[in-house]
Amino acid sequence: MIEFEWNFGILVPYWGNFLRGAIVTIELSVIVIFASLLGGIVVGMARYSSNKWLNLPATVFVEIFRNTPVFVQIVWFFYAFPVLIGVQMEGFVAAILGVGLNMTAYTSEIYRAGIQSIHKGQWEAAKAVGMPYMRTMRRIILPQAIRRMIPAFANRIIEGAKATALASAIAVGELLHEGELLAQALYRPLEIYTVIAVLFFVLIYPLALWSYWLERRLRTDEKVTL
Amino acid sequence: MTGDNSPILKVESLHKKFGDLHVLRGIDLTVNKGDAICLVGSSGSGKSTLLRCINFMEHPTAGKITIDGEVVGRESGTFESAPVYQYKERELIKVRTHVGMVFQQFNLFPHMTVLANVMEGLIQVRKLGKEKAHEIARSNLQRVELWEKAEQYPSRLSGGQQQRVAIARALAMEPDIMLFDEVTSSLDPELVGEVLKSIQDLSKAGMTMVVVTHELGFAYHVAKRVLFLHDGIIHEEGTPDEVLKHPGKERTKAFLAGFTDFNF
Repeated sequence: MIEFEWNFGILVPYWGNFLRGAIVTIELSVIVIFASLLGGIVVGMARYSSNKWLNLPATVFVEIFRNTPVFVQIVWFFYAFPVLIGVQMEGFVAAILGVGLNMTAYTSEIYRAGIQSIHKGQWEAAKAVGMPYMRTMRRIILPQAIRRMIPAFANRIIEGAKATALASAIAVGELLHEGELLAQALYRPLEIYTVIAVLFFVLIYPLALWSYWLERRLRTDEKVTL
Repeated sequence: MTGDNSPILKVESLHKKFGDLHVLRGIDLTVNKGDAICLVGSSGSGKSTLLRCINFMEHPTAGKITIDGEVVGRESGTFESAPVYQYKERELIKVRTHVGMVFQQFNLFPHMTVLANVMEGLIQVRKLGKEKAHEIARSNLQRVELWEKAEQYPSRLSGGQQQRVAIARALAMEPDIMLFDEVTSSLDPELVGEVLKSIQDLSKAGMTMVVVTHELGFAYHVAKRVLFLHDGIIHEEGTPDEVLKHPGKERTKAFLAGFTDFNF
């Protein structure tokens, strides 16, 4: 074994760097999560639709983003946008596009599967009282479907929060990138990456706890109202 | 509005195919105001499909359907010498507000209370204010004797109670005709009576209805006319006494022979 003396004390003066990185990680995560939960509804409904003008583009979108690495997507947005639209894209925006669109592709599949899981009798009952398609979706189908989707969303949200670390590759100042910069300056990679891992865990573990709690709550709810 | 003698519903040469399966092969049916018509027949005879074509849960392959004196759809060709119609969803939505339907599986909205289930169509479709919707929902829940369950969720109710809520939900839309699709088939035997009684009360109150049922006793006592469907056509029709007690055709006799335990 290599002789190694752990020295976390050396990092204390740099707590501001970690904080700065954590804030950017939180910002990225929150934006990406909300954007994909909202965007996913639209894409998911289009995927569910029997109208090919909605279904086909949505399917192409989902397949492209699901079947290429999210890392490649982030880098691609970063380098491709200046070429395509002549605007230098900030890393932060490229990361949001990459992770956000990838997440949207996944959440849209959760929506689609959730919508499909609702018994067709619910559609028929709404139809029988004269409700149009979109209102049935909004009032009858989605409220029931979303309850069933929550555990899957919780997983997705955790995945999304972790995926933001890939933005370090294009020098976005999130937690991992701040750590890399410090590691290069201080030559203490082991302590630094240990702290980074702990910080990610502290940020993300509450999400996992929240998902357990939701699952338990939904199980008891299901008995009562479903 | 229709006068007392003009038909509320007229079905002419109705055909329905599912792929190669020709389920309805030319059905003619006239329903007048206040009529209670029972459709009987073995499973696969097309009786549920007929009902589902009347409110366009299924689009007919061919045939003319007239509701309240208005032909539904636009004629666009023929199929086996029957007229074919094209339908716009917007038009069908309007048609469905005149036609109430109750399903075998109740299909109550599980995320809404009993009261909200009945109010939903009133607010979302008929665009009534909350107070007015509440008033109508209340009187219809009272009609099926379930007002005291208004704040419960459907899962807390028995199957029979759920089905009566479904009846109240359809009635609240004040339809001109009610369709009942094997509404007691998924109920425990001891719960069948309360639902049939609600339907019988409705009929006595003058509601026009078409009922698909396996309850021949009910058909005998409530129906004005009984239609026996076989193989996608109306094989025999007449008064309950004619069709159920003195059937003229072999198929009808064979079908009735399967029911040994019904008492008239």
